[in-house]
Amino acid sequence: MSGDEEERELEALLELSRRGRAKLDRLHEVLTSPGHYGTGATPSAVVYRENKLRLLRLLDEQGKPRTGPPVLFVPAPVSRYFIVDLLPGRSFAGHVAAAGFDVFVIDFGTPTSEDRFADLAYYVDGLVRRSVRIVSELTGVPAINVVGYCLGGTLSLLYAALYPDTVARLVLLTTMVDGDVQGGIGWVAHRMGLAGESYDTPRLVPAAEVKSWFEMLAPGSNSLIGRVSDLWERLDDPAARLRDVRTMATWVDDVVPAPGRLLAEMYQKFGPGRNGLMTGIVQIGDRMVELAAVRMPVLSVSAEKDLIAPPEGVDAITKIVPHAEVLRLPGGHVGIVAGRAAAGLWQRTVDFLATSRGEAHGT
Amino acid sequence: MTLTADGKTAKDSTLVERWLEDQRDWQRTAMAYLDSMVKNEDFLVHLGNAMRGSLLAGKPYPAAAPAGQPAAQEAPADDRLDQVLFALHQIQGQLTDLRLVLDDVRSSGKGSPSVRPATRRKAKATKRTKRTKRPAPTVARKARPGKPRSRG
Repeated sequence: MSGDEEERELEALLELSRRGRAKLDRLHEVLTSPGHYGTGATPSAVVYRENKLRLLRLLDEQGKPRTGPPVLFVPAPVSRYFIVDLLPGRSFAGHVAAAGFDVFVIDFGTPTSEDRFADLAYYVDGLVRRSVRIVSELTGVPAINVVGYCLGGTLSLLYAALYPDTVARLVLLTTMVDGDVQGGIGWVAHRMGLAGESYDTPRLVPAAEVKSWFEMLAPGSNSLIGRVSDLWERLDDPAARLRDVRTMATWVDDVVPAPGRLLAEMYQKFGPGRNGLMTGIVQIGDRMVELAAVRMPVLSVSAEKDLIAPPEGVDAITKIVPHAEVLRLPGGHVGIVAGRAAAGLWQRTVDFLATSRGEAHGT
Repeated sequence: MTLTADGKTAKDSTLVERWLEDQRDWQRTAMAYLDSMVKNEDFLVHLGNAMRGSLLAGKPYPAAAPAGQPAAQEAPADDRLDQVLFALHQIQGQLTDLRLVLDDVRSSGKGSPSVRPATRRKAKATKRTKRTKRPAPTVARKARPGKPRSRG
């Protein structure tokens, strides 16, 4: 090896060392600086607590509740609530609030051991019903707007069928109704043993197990090597961008444990081969719920590249709620709600909620 | 490397100096990490998550229980305490229901329901959602007698 070659190699090594160190310095900066990690971006007040649930009311710049028509966001109880209020300027709930609505968000919290006995009735006829009543009481509006995301949409749909007079407008985001459509989290969980969950002797399904179902939807990108490699590449990004990435990672990776009874019941009623929602009649606790009772305007939004809730399974809502307006957007399950192009959905939701009854739907 | 008085030597010196500077930078990086490990107990958790490719903040990356420790995934052998705790949560909800009904009764007694339409304003560029009377409790009907509840 000549002296010049040796020198070039040493220069290259030095540059490699510098780049690697710069990445580690940036990682250190991101890991030690504050951000919106696990908390909503918009100022809020807790207006009701029950078990692990917190009902949040978003506040304006002066720290006061808004006085527009009330909207209740119902996120999925198996993940953290702040996906609908991710970052300043990137918050679905914040956008709706900025449009003048009085926005409430349910935070179901993190279930602990005793919550494994929670079933559909506990969520739909308990937590969601009481949250709606509290919103009605606080705002004086008997029929409020409800926006349900993913499994939270399923709870919202069932609630709206049970208490249709209390829901003015219903928005369902990536809410799967046809359990026979292959793919998605239901089928993965089915293949990975969800059928073995017991209703009578439920367990608290560990977060790692729930997460493994989601990871199976994209096994390559979710492998340890794939994740580490992806993070190493991202460390070239500016620190501010990485903090946003960290906020999203905190949502994606902070899956909460799931009540085994709820999962068992949903699988037995709505899962592959059962498909109870598509029959239009569902038993919740000791009551029969007829989805035909859902007569308020409904907007159902699916995502073209949704691996968790395949769009065909979401759009099938028109078979059980024929007047539902269906909207399919480009993007994935999370991206359409909190991604960089999510503002289109937020504004579409505002427009839908702002349309008075009968104007757009002839009801 | 040989140090001589020609131009090559000067170049080599520069490289050596930069290499030494790089080593000092690495020491600073290492010290910054060590300092955070000592001063911030969460930092190790966050660093551990990063080594698993996740920027998850606030808690360790969810991991399955190690082999030989399946207890966390099993239903406890004696779940009576948890059943009592969960029943208490349900009672808490029922008490809220009672409180809400009492509030309703109180507001009805004052001649006005808890509806306050006059105080609500429209959302920006919106028309107000039509309001209805106080919510009817349900349109659902009772479960059909004899139909067994679906359980696993």
